Amino acid sequence: MGQAYSVTEINQYIKNLFMKDRILSLIYIKGEVSNCKYHTSGHIYFTLKDAQGQLACVMFAGQRKGLTFRLEEGQSVIALGNINVYERDGKYQLYANEIVLDGQGALYERFERLKRNLEEEGLFDSTHKKPIPSFPKKVGIVTASTGAAIQDIINISKRRNPYIQLVLYPALVQGAGSAESVAKGITALDKLGLDTIIIGRGGGSIEDLWAFNEEIVARAIYNCHTPIISAVGHETDITIADFVSDLRAPTPSAAAELAVNDYSAFQSVIRDYRRKLSREMQQKLNFSQNRVKELKLRLFYASPSYQIKQKRQYLMDTEQKLQQRMNQKLREKRHRLELYIAKLEGLSPLSKLSKGYALIVGEDNKPVQSILGIAKNELLTVSLLDGDIITRVEELCEKQRGC
Amino acid sequence: MANKEMKLEESFDKLNHIMEELEKSDITLEDSFTLYQEGMKLLKSCNDSIDKVEKELIILSENGESNEL
Repeated sequence: MGQAYSVTEINQYIKNLFMKDRILSLIYIKGEVSNCKYHTSGHIYFTLKDAQGQLACVMFAGQRKGLTFRLEEGQSVIALGNINVYERDGKYQLYANEIVLDGQGALYERFERLKRNLEEEGLFDSTHKKPIPSFPKKVGIVTASTGAAIQDIINISKRRNPYIQLVLYPALVQGAGSAESVAKGITALDKLGLDTIIIGRGGGSIEDLWAFNEEIVARAIYNCHTPIISAVGHETDITIADFVSDLRAPTPSAAAELAVNDYSAFQSVIRDYRRKLSREMQQKLNFSQNRVKELKLRLFYASPSYQIKQKRQYLMDTEQKLQQRMNQKLREKRHRLELYIAKLEGLSPLSKLSKGYALIVGEDNKPVQSILGIAKNELLTVSLLDGDIITRVEELCEKQRGC
Repeated sequence: MANKEMKLEESFDKLNHIMEELEKSDITLEDSFTLYQEGMKLLKSCNDSIDKVEKELIILSENGESNEL
């Protein structure tokens, strides 16, 4: 006998097998509801069965938003969830996240199949997506001519840019022929050379929105040369059109916001550019003007006329200095002269005459300093302070006076 | 239509380029004047590219023909 496992161990082992399986981790199961019990905890326990078999199912209270109707015996439904092992009972069961009636289930299946096919075909490729123009002039709209969607789009577009041209293709957006109508609208608007096209409608049931899950619409979007923004229903509604279009908007209002640029923002961008451009230019001008000024100044200093002026000025200054020095010297000399004069006055013979001395002049009118050269009877003039005495020489007697 | 739009964005790119050029210190005055004039022309064309007439909604007929109201 080999090794024996405990029940818990083998249940754990089987649970792991289930969990590793990718198919079982998210699967749609179709069947008829039986043994349906709404538990007080909010969980729903039921069984799905068909002619050959049955499957235990549970939908936990936390998943209840995935169920929009009351689950009842005998309903044909499709449940989405994962299949796993409930270890306590050693049973596997479906843990449902979402349950829809089979009619809708068929729609879901169609949706999933078309989505898969188109995706494989490359209709959702991001490389095929066109950028939404930032500054459109004409925006086309494919939606119903009545209803909130078109009003929202008009209001928001005009508020953002009153100069935008809106073109409406009034399409049937629900019921028979709606897909064809929407597709036709896209083709018609594509021919008008618009900047962007918004396709969409307001909220509604999954059947109401179905036109936007049709292949003809998907292909019209894919083949359209104008960028398309899809805006179908509410935030939570996702359609095939959303996958194919170049941009998905959660609502028609949001689509208008995305499609139409804010004109005042555009204006302020332009204003900023203008201001910046002018400022840069003004700065350049100021800089150049200053440079011209500076060069002018330098040229002025370097010019011959300035040089001459400069030399002339120097000359004048020098002359002035010279003059000053000269005057200074003159003053000094004159002063000294005055001193001499005063001194001389002190030495003047005249001053001696007053003291009993006399000046003797010979006939030749020269002062007599010695008896030599003087003859007897020669006339001499004796000058005193108040007059002259003319006298004749009587006698000459030589004497030795030391000096 | 798409190239008209590209023009506006290109204008913005070009304006940015002009600003950068103008900001350079070694650019000549003549060149700055040329750039300035070019920039002003671009601004004007940007402004002109928006046809400033408030527009009515055009509603097309079933066949996509315009049927102005």
